[in-house]
Amino acid sequence: MQILIRYSTLFVLTLLVLAALSFALAYLFPGDVLVNLTGITPHNEIQREALIRQYQLDEPYLFQFLYYVQQLLQGNWGYSFISGLPLRDEIAVAMPATIELSTYALLTALFLGVPIGCYAGLKSYTKTDYTINSLSMVSYSFPVFWIALVFILIFSLELGIAPLSGRVSLLFDVPNVSGFVLIDILLADNIDSGLAFVDALHHLILPTASIALISTASMIRITRRSVIDVLKSPYIAAAESRGLSKRKIFFQHILRNALLPILPLMAIQITTLITNAMIVETLFSWPGIGNWLIQAIYQRDYPALRVGMLAVATVVISFTILIDLFNRLIDPSREKYERGAI
Amino acid sequence: MAQFNLYQEESQPTPWQRTWQEFRASHIAFTGFIVLGLFFFISVFGPLVAPYDPLQQNIDALLVPPSWEANGTISHLFGTDALGRDVFSRILAGCQVTFGSAILLVLIAMLIGVSIGTVAGMTSGVRSSVINHTLDALMAIPTLLIAIIIVAILGTGLVNSMWAITLALIPQFIHHTRSFVRTEMKKEYVLASKLDGANPQQLFFHSILPNMIEMLVVQGSLALSIAVIDISALGFLNLGAQPPLPELGVILADGLDVAYIAPWNVALPGLTIFLMVLAINVVGDGLRSALRKRLTH
Repeated sequence: MQILIRYSTLFVLTLLVLAALSFALAYLFPGDVLVNLTGITPHNEIQREALIRQYQLDEPYLFQFLYYVQQLLQGNWGYSFISGLPLRDEIAVAMPATIELSTYALLTALFLGVPIGCYAGLKSYTKTDYTINSLSMVSYSFPVFWIALVFILIFSLELGIAPLSGRVSLLFDVPNVSGFVLIDILLADNIDSGLAFVDALHHLILPTASIALISTASMIRITRRSVIDVLKSPYIAAAESRGLSKRKIFFQHILRNALLPILPLMAIQITTLITNAMIVETLFSWPGIGNWLIQAIYQRDYPALRVGMLAVATVVISFTILIDLFNRLIDPSREKYERGAI
Repeated sequence: MAQFNLYQEESQPTPWQRTWQEFRASHIAFTGFIVLGLFFFISVFGPLVAPYDPLQQNIDALLVPPSWEANGTISHLFGTDALGRDVFSRILAGCQVTFGSAILLVLIAMLIGVSIGTVAGMTSGVRSSVINHTLDALMAIPTLLIAIIIVAILGTGLVNSMWAITLALIPQFIHHTRSFVRTEMKKEYVLASKLDGANPQQLFFHSILPNMIEMLVVQGSLALSIAVIDISALGFLNLGAQPPLPELGVILADGLDVAYIAPWNVALPGLTIFLMVLAINVVGDGLRSALRKRLTH
């Protein structure tokens, strides 16, 4: 219970710091503060006066900030310079696309990385282990934008087996319900779901593979290290001396204890994952938040940048804090949450 | 009276020498070390070795293939790009920009992070706890996001992107320094110095800092690989170094326009970044396992 209170205080405090940062950005960005904050360009002095009064910009900074937070909570996030649409609607479309891409990459990394890492850890310091370890080191070192380009060059341009960009072929008109394209396709009723699903998977495979390659490598390394550490511990020797079978030792003693330290490390992985997803999005024209932010910076769309930064940071930090909290709850022996190296 | 001696030899290796011995015993790590040394050499003396000026355009030699292909020439080892610039010279210059600025910004981040982390580790109480936890949470903000914000405020450029990456790396150093200082402060040798009347400053410089250097080297190598990738990624996205400046990410982005007819313009700069990061990671990994072996033996 105490932990829950501590983490929620931490969460609220961090969000306040972030909101303050995003509010400060309206002043730091070049251009008019009013325009940066609202995204509305006033046409005449009277409208300008009215907007200033509405956003309380004539009050002290503290009151301006309080009003800003209130507006954010009410869902009034301002308007984009370029499209003139409410930013909230734009982010509601872009954000799930990024989360979807990252989720698939993370799942791939978990389902491939953990078993391979366990295998390498159990066979530690043999030829197999060295091979897996070296391969994971190699794929961990790939710059994500380059590997994505190489994939495009090989699979899209040379072999032509995967499409170059986008989420789903334009032939399919998929209404945006949940924001996750695979779920939306299953929900849509006016198209051939089977064909659209396969098409969406084709679009997904290259971006997911480029992100997952790096995440899987770090997952393998983390798991391997953790299994090796557990193998050295006295309770494994005790289990062996009691004559337990290898299978039993692995599933009952090694696996559980080895997976515990992986969780907090996953928390840092999320940051890398989202960064990589954002970079890959620009290459594959994936309509996610990374692509959206980069377009916003090219076009100097300051209101969009202000809210986009807040949205991405909030999502990343929520995930990180949730994982840390979960970790504290299932593993009370961990006093402070630790972050380690891969 | 017989002298008790732990080692057969007359001279006893210092901890650093033992780490170095363990490090050298691993062939992979040592190879990585040599490659890293090569990159270091290139980034210092690269412009002296380069056969051409990296910015010099040559209309008579547009998109010449690399020398190992049938119609390539030896005068352009890695071929030329769409403006007739020599790719080999550009990559040498690019190593200097990318690797040099990465080292510089890691050093700055380390200096700032260690100072703040030490202060945070030596103080305690609610205030330090709040600051620490908030910092930990802020550490989760992606570098790319910080870079986008900084670019929006200050404009694009190599220096601005360096600031962004430094800002993103600092919390990591703070975190590790803080937890390290915390654990060291509880140990007996620090207590002994305290009883001798050492003030916090002396405690830090004479007792804690020498023990911290290993941790800093390992963390520094991790940060360096992140820095190289981030600098080139920002250059590639046109948010960092700007086109005429030969930065590896920028060279890659330049080559993108002709990627289909001249794939070496994309392959070679990317391969260089990859090799650089791989060498840094291999050395960092080798260092970590050398330290681990030294401590367990």
